Amino acid sequence: MFDIKTDTRKMPIEHHFNPYEMNGGTIVGVAGEDFAVIASDTRLSEGYSILSRENPHLYHVQPHTVMGSVGFHGDSLTFNKTLQIRLRMYEYENNKKCSTPAVAQLISTMLYSRRFFPYYVNTIVAGINNEGQGCIYSYDPVGSYEREVYRAGGSSSALIQPLLDSQLGLKNQGSFELSRSYTVKMSRENVVALVKDVFTAAAERDIYTGDAVFINIITKDGVFTEHFKLRRD
Amino acid sequence: MSERYGFSLTTFSPSGKLVQIEYALNAVAAGAPSVGIKATNGVVLATEKKQKSTLNDDRSISKIEPITSNVGMVYSGMGPDYRLLVKYARKLGQQYIQMYDDSIPTVQLVRRVADVMQEYTQSGGVRPFGVSLLIAGWDVDENVPYLYQCDPSGAYFAWKATAIGKNHINGKTFLEKRYSEKLELEDAIHTAILTLKESFEGQMNEENIEIGVCNKDGFRKLTPSEVKDYLATI
Amino acid sequence: MSIMSYNGGTVVAMAGKECVAIASDKRFGIQYSTVSMDYPKVFEMGPHLFLGLAGLATDVQTVSQRLKFRLNLYELQENRHIKPKTFSSMVSNLLYERRFGPYFIEPIIAGLDPKTHEPFISVMDLIGQPCISTDFAVIGTANEQLYGMCETLWQPNLEPNDLFETISQALMNAFDRDAYSGWGAVVYIIEKDKVTVKELKTRMD
Repeated sequence: MFDIKTDTRKMPIEHHFNPYEMNGGTIVGVAGEDFAVIASDTRLSEGYSILSRENPHLYHVQPHTVMGSVGFHGDSLTFNKTLQIRLRMYEYENNKKCSTPAVAQLISTMLYSRRFFPYYVNTIVAGINNEGQGCIYSYDPVGSYEREVYRAGGSSSALIQPLLDSQLGLKNQGSFELSRSYTVKMSRENVVALVKDVFTAAAERDIYTGDAVFINIITKDGVFTEHFKLRRD
Repeated sequence: MSERYGFSLTTFSPSGKLVQIEYALNAVAAGAPSVGIKATNGVVLATEKKQKSTLNDDRSISKIEPITSNVGMVYSGMGPDYRLLVKYARKLGQQYIQMYDDSIPTVQLVRRVADVMQEYTQSGGVRPFGVSLLIAGWDVDENVPYLYQCDPSGAYFAWKATAIGKNHINGKTFLEKRYSEKLELEDAIHTAILTLKESFEGQMNEENIEIGVCNKDGFRKLTPSEVKDYLATI
Repeated sequence: MSIMSYNGGTVVAMAGKECVAIASDKRFGIQYSTVSMDYPKVFEMGPHLFLGLAGLATDVQTVSQRLKFRLNLYELQENRHIKPKTFSSMVSNLLYERRFGPYFIEPIIAGLDPKTHEPFISVMDLIGQPCISTDFAVIGTANEQLYGMCETLWQPNLEPNDLFETISQALMNAFDRDAYSGWGAVVYIIEKDKVTVKELKTRMD
């Protein structure tokens, strides 16, 4: 963590402090017609060491909203804590729970507020909006965000995203029509099965993804969870 | 090169002969006899290993040498020259394996050894090798045995059966009579011993002959006790 | 910026039932500028033998030419077609000769044994550390994306037609998420008595 440069001449000794760490982890979000699925693996790493095998990267922030956050674990925790406070303040000031799109906007503002010392995190928000539709929002570390149909984030995002393009976006399968829908047509069961598949694939090749998948299925009736085992090596 | 006076000793005679090579062949023809016979399922090499003095310890001398796991060879002619060729051949075999991750085909090894022998007929400051080689190999790819002869000139030939060294003319005549296309390795070993026996002076025993066989399991020298068993059945 | 991704490009190979497939994208670029859209990275080295090279384009050409040179010499000397395993060893040696000043390429070798017609796939790093695989191999700027695709789409004993679909889908969806590769693709399906070449039309952005 501390990088020490020494110079025999009369230069001042500089001490470098790297405030960030990459703790790995993968998250996947999919928006269904009346549900949203967000899943993460449960591994927490530091270099070649595994810090925890049972640490999901999902944060249940509102009754119908779950945030997935991976990158620097310290920032994930702090960001989540601050977000919870802001959401409680929202509730007091507005006398209602914060809707998923509002949570999404709030997260963007909070991330951007640290534009020049960012939270080192990849964020995906999943939830149900006021119309009862599933919705997914994805972010870069400084708050640029977009509503999407599906998104993979974190250490295995490069492995999983093209798969989702193929299986959910039906890309390269003959149709050049741009889909205007914000949800997939697939059933809950099939989405969950696909999510398990993509995590199994990612765990084969990415050392920062493994141990188990924690799946949250968000419907108007609340959040259902599922646990699925992955390889632990 | 000019300061090294690198002139070749092997020079054409006016009639077009390279007499140095002919002398080398004479050295071979004066050497102890060796025979090689290719059978349907393998090859046998056999050679005479008679010492000038009874005080010599026969067990310290080895004329048949493994080159790779599936190739072996023997010589007639000058022992020290042979040692160098064995060293070359083994090195060439290993170089091939390191380059291609595959055992060297017999013909490739023979060609490369022959190239070395040819080089010694044309280089400066050297003389041709005073040996002819018999190289026995099993080709893993084609699953067939091979028997090659390699001469000091760098010429090489594939044989069904042949003899080199002292009495090689008689040896070959004997083999011509005895050879059959359907010969199996066990019979070939007997025939090889008999061929040596034709010109052998004195009593043949497991100490004064050597036998090597090559089949699908690779090349291997027979132990003195195995040789003794074969001699007993003759 | 790594020199390995200066020109971009990606290659994938897959084994099927008595067949193998190898495919590459067709982009040639200089960093973010696309210069050519007809620049395949798969080379035919024999009737059942193909070589894919991803990395620095100048080294791709040099290595493919030097290998063809060595291969021709081998086949003339030995009077037989080279086995993919032997060729793989040859590639490995050529690359290791430049251990301390390497060619900035990674190769994939895909082929069938000329006698047994057994499928063969191997992949190496830039200094020739080989890895023979029984399923698939990926290299190039879209390698992570390809790992994800192959790990789910590939299955054992695919027939030639299914293998073509699988490798095409894997490659196209992978390079659509990579700015450095894409712009068309070429796929080779190698069978015992036939090699099929197909050019894929893909999105060009």
